[in-house]
Amino acid sequence: MGLRKFSLRAFLKKNFDFITGILSEAGLTAVIMGVTLVICVLLALISQ
Amino acid sequence: MILPLTREDLKVIGYNMSKIVYLIGVLLFLPIIVAVIYGEFDVIPCFLVGIAIAFIFGSLLHHFLKTEKEMELKHALVMAALIWLVAPLLASVPIWLANATASYLDASFESISGFTGTGLTLATDIDHLSHSINFLRHFLQFLGDGIGIIVVSLSILGTTEMSSVLAFKGEAKDVGIRPSIVRTSRIIIGIAVTFLLIGTILFTAAGVYAGLDPGTAVFDGLNHSMTGYATGGFSVRSQNLLYYHNVWIEVAAIVIMIIGALNFNLHYAVLGGKRREILRNMEVRVLLLFLVVFGMFVSANLLQLNLYSSGEALFRKGVFHVISAQTTTGFQTVPSSILMFVWPVLSILLLSIAMLIGGCANSTSGGIKLLRVGVLFKSLVMDIKRALLPKSAVVKGSFHHIDDVPLTDTVVKGAAVIALSYLILFSFGTMITVAHGYSMEDSMFETSSALSNVGLSSGITSPAMPATLKVTYMFLMWAGKLEIIAIFVLIGFIILALRKGIRK
Amino acid sequence: MKKISLLIAIFLLLTPGIVRAESGRELLENAAGFDGKQVTYSGEVIGVLMSGDFAWVNILDNGYPIGVWCRATDAKKVSIIGDYKHLGDTVQVTGIFHMACAEHGGDLDIHADNLTVLEAGQELDRSVNLLLAAIGVILVVIAFLITFHLWRLRKEKEKIFPWPFH
Repeated sequence: MGLRKFSLRAFLKKNFDFITGILSEAGLTAVIMGVTLVICVLLALISQ
Repeated sequence: MILPLTREDLKVIGYNMSKIVYLIGVLLFLPIIVAVIYGEFDVIPCFLVGIAIAFIFGSLLHHFLKTEKEMELKHALVMAALIWLVAPLLASVPIWLANATASYLDASFESISGFTGTGLTLATDIDHLSHSINFLRHFLQFLGDGIGIIVVSLSILGTTEMSSVLAFKGEAKDVGIRPSIVRTSRIIIGIAVTFLLIGTILFTAAGVYAGLDPGTAVFDGLNHSMTGYATGGFSVRSQNLLYYHNVWIEVAAIVIMIIGALNFNLHYAVLGGKRREILRNMEVRVLLLFLVVFGMFVSANLLQLNLYSSGEALFRKGVFHVISAQTTTGFQTVPSSILMFVWPVLSILLLSIAMLIGGCANSTSGGIKLLRVGVLFKSLVMDIKRALLPKSAVVKGSFHHIDDVPLTDTVVKGAAVIALSYLILFSFGTMITVAHGYSMEDSMFETSSALSNVGLSSGITSPAMPATLKVTYMFLMWAGKLEIIAIFVLIGFIILALRKGIRK
Repeated sequence: MKKISLLIAIFLLLTPGIVRAESGRELLENAAGFDGKQVTYSGEVIGVLMSGDFAWVNILDNGYPIGVWCRATDAKKVSIIGDYKHLGDTVQVTGIFHMACAEHGGDLDIHADNLTVLEAGQELDRSVNLLLAAIGVILVVIAFLITFHLWRLRKEKEKIFPWPFH
């Protein structure tokens, strides 16, 4: 009974959807933060 | 015609509850492990008492209420309503015995706030709480709100009977990921654990960067990840996230709060390859819209007052709390007294509205839910169209939620009934709070926080709060978590029993 | 003696900006009134977060916590941080109070010029309550006995009336 050699490539390929899904959700949070931060900065600039 | 209740009806409810009561007993072993790790041996007896009471109660229910009768929807709803009272009451025993709160009522409040993922706290001296009790508070939020106690029991017990399906629906979950309810439950847990891990890593990294030692960073990170994903909002510190004075902790919090507020179905679709769903989904669009609009108005309002004058401050205080409110989490980086005495009324009102609207349906968030608000808004637009177009014109609407769903009268009615129920309870809660002498806007704020299971506090919630108000908020937290329908069915059950008695 | 006390009192009253030691409650509930003013604040240390040459020291006064931004050298004076098993050092700081600090993203804080340890912290007595421990163990045993007994009753009933007749 031999242990299969762990291959990062195979692991990534198998979990491609999962990983890209996580990245998409992270992207969504980044977009929300980015948009709202820009609005805050603009508001602060306008008021000065 | 509504048939009178029989003893068998009560037995079905009690018997099915027993399994979940046992489960609570078993889960109370986890904080004991934490107590052993941190050498807090004096707290262990508190948990032992709680575990014993759960097992005694569970055995009695299991033995004396044993029945072969099949569970129906009405039983499931009543059972869900009762379990969401019984489970917190059991978990409150160790909290009270460990002197984490001033009284048993406060411990029950804390426990219900935990289970429902609210986050309003009556714990005295959080900074000196034992790691195990603190872990319990946070774990209750992850268990009760992050996953759902009924979901957990289905996963573990693995039964696929009708009773399970109905119990699942009773917990206000209508997630149809997989044909098997057990498989669906396990997927929900899988998603929760995945994000728990990611959140822990983010918080831990930010914590170390903020100046914490690694051990503390991991403990704090794990707990905040649990309550962040569960959109609960409990913290291991009395200052909540203000303790860290660090923007990266707040960023980690924002990430996990938004993730927690998204629909389970959406997570499953996106993590399964349907990445486009993230932007096509109606709830995500509505969430984005509300966050931007509320964020803008709250920031502008705070700027008007000259309270926060830099872009960074507006983001870290204004937008952060809008996100905390909309996702119904309740992480707070502004002391409650500042919200009460300094923040302008308009911002408090906007946050209250955001809290009432809440997050996505079938997520860990509370509130009326973005899906319902979106449906009602679209329905309004359709009605306006109908009024403007010629009579012969046919106006049909739909919205995209994983699939394209037609906007029928049934869908709209369903959304309207829940929204109306929330607003009725909101008015009721606000009036009771005002009657205790608090200002209108603070009353609205605190009521929406309790009802939508948020946890942001303007300071009304404290151990010194009148007992009647504590009980009121406990009721609101409970009702809000079950999206009210289960509560109404329970009340209907009780009225039916009183009017027609219980037949043999 | 009376004259000296009177002089000191007049001096203190006339000295601008410096106010007597404030409680956490006063500062938090009247934050606008203290904004930008020099304050003296004391309490128990419940957290120290080092940040290069500076540090955050979170100080708890009677249930009201405030974060203090001070020099790292001052923060290092703290030996015991409050937690479950410890009462933290009691310290006093003097500095400018900010309701919404512009330097720290709007945080409510005090920028301290100095930090003095008034009283060293100590270990708290968290010994096992023997009575509670006994009750806990007894209840667990009772729970086990009841669960086991009822389970056996059901098993015996099944033997007499094998499924599906019971």
